[in-house]
Amino acid sequence: MFLWALTAAAIPLMLHMFQRRKTVVTPFPTLRFLKAAQKRSSSRVRFENFLLWLLRTLLLLMLGFAFALPVLRMTTGSSWLIRTRRDVAIVIDASYSMTYELDRGKVWDICKDAAVSVIEGLLSGDRVCVYVAGDVPVPVIEKPTTEHATVIQAIRTLSCLSGTSKLDETVALALKALEQQEGRREREVYILTDGQALPWQGFRDAAKKEEQAGDNKALIPREQRDKVSFFTLLAGAQQPDNACPSNLKVSPPLLLAGQSARLNVRVGRTGTAKQVTVAVEVDGQERARRAVTTEANAESSLEFAVAGLEPGIHVAKVTTPQDALPIDDEFLFLLRVRKQLPVLIAGPQEATRYLKAALAPGAADDSVRQIDVAELDSIDLRDYQAVFLCDVFPLTGQAVMRIEEYAKTGGVVIVFPGDRADLSAYAEMKILPAQPKGTEDIPVEQAARPLRRLPNQKDQIVNFNLPLPPGSIPTVALKRIMSFGDLQENGAVLVTAGDGVPFMTGRAVGRGRVFMFAISANREWSTFPLTAFFLPVVHQLIRQGAGASVQPPHLAMSSNNILVNEAVPNYREDDAIAMPSGAPLPVKDNGNRTFVIEELPEPGIYTRAKAGAAQPEPVLAVNTDRLESRLTPATTEELSEWTGFKKFLTARDPEELTRLIGEYRNGRSLAEVFLWIALLLALAEWWFANRALRTQTGATEKMTVDLSGKVVTT
Amino acid sequence: MSEEGIGAYLNPAQMAKLNRLALNSRYVVEGTLAGRHRSAQKGASTEFADHRSYMPGDDLKRIDWKVLGRTDKYYIRRYQDETNLRVYLLVDRSGSMNYSSGTHKTKFNYACTLAAALGYVVLKARDAVGMYIYGEKMDAALPCKNSFNELNNALKVLQGYKPAKGTAGADVMHQIAESINRRAMVIILSDLLDDQPEIIKAIAHFRKNLHDVIVFHTLDPVELNLDLKRGAEFEDLETGERMIADPRTMAKEYKDLMGTFIEDYRKACSEMKVDYRLVKTDEPVDTFVRAYLEERKRLSR
Repeated sequence: MFLWALTAAAIPLMLHMFQRRKTVVTPFPTLRFLKAAQKRSSSRVRFENFLLWLLRTLLLLMLGFAFALPVLRMTTGSSWLIRTRRDVAIVIDASYSMTYELDRGKVWDICKDAAVSVIEGLLSGDRVCVYVAGDVPVPVIEKPTTEHATVIQAIRTLSCLSGTSKLDETVALALKALEQQEGRREREVYILTDGQALPWQGFRDAAKKEEQAGDNKALIPREQRDKVSFFTLLAGAQQPDNACPSNLKVSPPLLLAGQSARLNVRVGRTGTAKQVTVAVEVDGQERARRAVTTEANAESSLEFAVAGLEPGIHVAKVTTPQDALPIDDEFLFLLRVRKQLPVLIAGPQEATRYLKAALAPGAADDSVRQIDVAELDSIDLRDYQAVFLCDVFPLTGQAVMRIEEYAKTGGVVIVFPGDRADLSAYAEMKILPAQPKGTEDIPVEQAARPLRRLPNQKDQIVNFNLPLPPGSIPTVALKRIMSFGDLQENGAVLVTAGDGVPFMTGRAVGRGRVFMFAISANREWSTFPLTAFFLPVVHQLIRQGAGASVQPPHLAMSSNNILVNEAVPNYREDDAIAMPSGAPLPVKDNGNRTFVIEELPEPGIYTRAKAGAAQPEPVLAVNTDRLESRLTPATTEELSEWTGFKKFLTARDPEELTRLIGEYRNGRSLAEVFLWIALLLALAEWWFANRALRTQTGATEKMTVDLSGKVVTT
Repeated sequence: MSEEGIGAYLNPAQMAKLNRLALNSRYVVEGTLAGRHRSAQKGASTEFADHRSYMPGDDLKRIDWKVLGRTDKYYIRRYQDETNLRVYLLVDRSGSMNYSSGTHKTKFNYACTLAAALGYVVLKARDAVGMYIYGEKMDAALPCKNSFNELNNALKVLQGYKPAKGTAGADVMHQIAESINRRAMVIILSDLLDDQPEIIKAIAHFRKNLHDVIVFHTLDPVELNLDLKRGAEFEDLETGERMIADPRTMAKEYKDLMGTFIEDYRKACSEMKVDYRLVKTDEPVDTFVRAYLEERKRLSR
């Protein structure tokens, strides 16, 4: 209707034609100059008048067009004539960076509102499904449905997850759900995210592979991509600011009472360089606080020492000041402090005498227990940090099996041979670093042997040092020595006695360690038990071996299988592990006495209730994977390149998204464009019409006339 | 205008401002009384002019005895004669002078006021002032007198005239040039809106007769810049011709033409050693006269 307004374009011409001439008579002395000036300026004035008329006509034309609200259609085909039915999939990124707090609220809430807004913008009969992108895709409304109210209700109850997300897998699943629908409908996918690059990594990798291979075997095939319109809301901060503790190492790994724990804390920073205060809390009490100047978009590290820890399990955390992303501002970990290391010595009295005397010099020391060989069949080895086997062979099959399982689950087994068994008895135990080959009596003249530590070439064997002052050479006198055959897998000679003769061997077995000496634990074979370094060597083996098998102080959230023994110390089948939310953590029996945690879905402190114990004890400290904390927004161009979507529209806020949807479905209104053009034309007209008044200089400005009337032409 | 004579044009404050000023001629003039202006005559005076050889019949007391003592030759000392200044004010009352663009005076009124101020300055210096009033013809010729009463009478006569319809500036100026028989100062108060070559010729006529000529080219500011905001039907003040025009569209060309017009007069006057001054009617007369006379005094040093 407003196209009638276009007739207004004739107004300037009409005004010009029907304009009444001025009848005011003004006497003027220099009419001859006026006439001459009019003659000179007539052609220029005609041209200027034509331009003015053109500008004014165009201005009114633009205003007429603007009021007519013209629309430029962007869709093609049948949508020109009939209303299009749609199948819509909404994918909401649920990585924990979505909890970033903006001025207008959390990004997660903004995206949920945007999802609701998209659904409310659909017409009845349009179908919609909703997927949440986490570490694995979570279908909220799996199959597209026309029940919009139900979908909105489901969206409103959604909570953000605490992990990362994989948008490619979720989008692929959503597209699959759309593909399975019958009927030819327009398909639209809405990806509501904060715009961080990490969730798009799958698309990026797929694009690289596709480029390298040149084939079309991507997760989302090209023909499928091209059929669908993708709308993306990048609602996150474009210049995010975040600081968080990103990782932590505790040393030594095995903490004993009275030892200080050294914490190496890594602090990640997104944004400009800034000073960040890092605090350490143990059992709810702040133990240390220090400021670190973090560089822009980089990681910094700082050290803390926590002393005076009592034996037991301490819940600790490292915190940074609260910021826009509070979920990663604390990093939980456990400090497991032991009073002592319980050691089991198995073997006859005469073989274990020196060892027991060395490890438990006081009669009241109950950390060392000596048992007879026969008891190995029944004793629970898991209560001990290390097991010494001194001249125990031959062993029953039951005992061998128990010892092997003990070692594999993180125990330390130290084997001293003896005279009781022949060599074939050792063959029953498969976990030894090397199978004995024979024994050799050493002549007196060759008895004195220097011990030398060989460089540790295999990482799985703990570092081992002969604790002697620098420059001194430890020497033992040998009477008899066992020789070994080929080393087993992961086996290594750690110490030699004399010219390359193996004295001590070691092997990593599962999470545990097995050490085997070439001499007996008593003085029958050598003077080793009598030397000054016997006790330190034995202590070292126990402590370092135990440290290697100690459970990590913290774990990251995971959806992969984790062996229970690798995470939880001394796990028993009847232990009940509870998640921070209170829900039980499912532990799966994989058979063969192997237990597996299938996933760690929540961050926080996991507790274990032991059968018969009054109080549950903390067993796991689980943190969010800090990959998402390094906030790196992706640009629209990058996303377009990585995804390869043909119809890919991005918006920075929900309002822009709504506008894009409107423009896409209904066409783009050109009214604003016309109004802008009209404004520009109006400015041009104003400038042009008043140009003469501004730019012309007077005759007396071209010549200087001073007070005395003197004229000077400039 | 209830006052008559000089009081109709200048108030006491303005006259006080003009009291100490003097209008000096740049050239020798021929007066009737002894005065402070250089005369064409050599005679008894205190200002030495030159020597000339003694001739029989010369007065012996005029022989320069010191020169005789040094050179043994007879020389007569000659002295510069000093006389009074006779100033003729030529007031144009042509039709175009009856223009005022705003609240200030018409060009004719401004010229009359300027004539009064200059006459006052001349008489204060004990010089003589005369006046010619012309429009389409010579309207009045008032002789040179060094009396305030005469000036007052002349201004009363001037007060009785209104601007005429047409103009005949060039012819009248030739006529005036012929009528002034001794070298004097001639001050033209006009907008010079006539046939420009003819006007220049008339000014040249004054110079030919060795008069010291000053041209006060009196114009309204709007005439100079055509600073009019609205279109109108313009009527020529002399011919009555009319034209419709929008001054904004032709201001540039008009100003170019007016600039050329003024520049032609300025150049011509400069070549003839005529003192050309552009006077805008929005400037106070006393301020202008004071500035002009001080400038003239500074240049004559």
